[in-house]
Amino acid sequence: MATTTVSNVSLSLNDRITAGIFALLIGGFLVFGAGLANSAVLHDTAHDVRHSYGFPCH
Amino acid sequence: MIVKTLLAALVAGLIAGAFMTAAQELRVTPLILHAEEFESKGPAAEQPATEQPATTEQQHSHLKQQSTLDYALSALSPITPAYAHEDGEHEEGGIMFGMSRFSGTLMANLVAGAGFGLLLAGVSLVIGYPITLSNGALWGGCGWLAVHMLPAIGLPPELPGFPAADLQDRQIWWIATVVLSAAGLYLIVLRGEIVAKAAGLLVLVAPHLYGAPQPVDISSAVPAVLGAEFAVAALATTLAFWIVLGVISGFINDRFLKSA
Repeated sequence: MATTTVSNVSLSLNDRITAGIFALLIGGFLVFGAGLANSAVLHDTAHDVRHSYGFPCH
Repeated sequence: MIVKTLLAALVAGLIAGAFMTAAQELRVTPLILHAEEFESKGPAAEQPATEQPATTEQQHSHLKQQSTLDYALSALSPITPAYAHEDGEHEEGGIMFGMSRFSGTLMANLVAGAGFGLLLAGVSLVIGYPITLSNGALWGGCGWLAVHMLPAIGLPPELPGFPAADLQDRQIWWIATVVLSAAGLYLIVLRGEIVAKAAGLLVLVAPHLYGAPQPVDISSAVPAVLGAEFAVAALATTLAFWIVLGVISGFINDRFLKSA
């Protein structure tokens, strides 16, 4: 069937979009927190990580 | 099912984040620590010329000794002081929960890894192209291009103490470039029409034509050689991270989600 070659994750279209948007939101939040958030504590904790990922940093 | 999909991405990201921590220790972290020695005597904090000018070689070896000691101390101590380059700007800083520098890095890598894993899965779900074991490395490679390589053309990975333009401007340019690069790669890689591919190229190039925010004064106390080594090391390390992330995501998808 055509659909199985396109998607082997058995989600309906609606569920797939919902899951995708959820994943983007949570993932964006986590990356923002680790890489971009303007908090001194977060910055210092993630300092080396921010530099090595090439995030714009101080 | 939704939860399972998200969980798969999360697990792949955590594994890749743990891998990233080990990979960073090889080259990237030592270079950051080395640069921080120079950073504290940046152009602003230059010593008055009246003092006897030590030869650079002497200074260098002295700093090197200090660094080994500092490194040993920071590895042993459960609490490390806030980094010197804050210059009192962020007095309330310091590492979360009084963790060591290494555990802070590990935790931030796990969080960032999980975040990138979820972003990759989210893009895959929204555009309807699943990540599998066989195409995982390509997914990872595209992730690396979009998040690291293409933005690095305008804003290369910088060491502590490097001159840089206003932080907010750079962050906005960086986020815009990542989003545009991802969109451009999608148009180029996954759309068949030649018009879409041309549009994709245009979208990729657009932020660079606009130009990344650049510092006015580019002088720095940190040696340029370190910067060049660091930029390559950082990009190579993140490439390894993304390929691991893509392949593990594909493996987990193939193994645990297909049959579900």
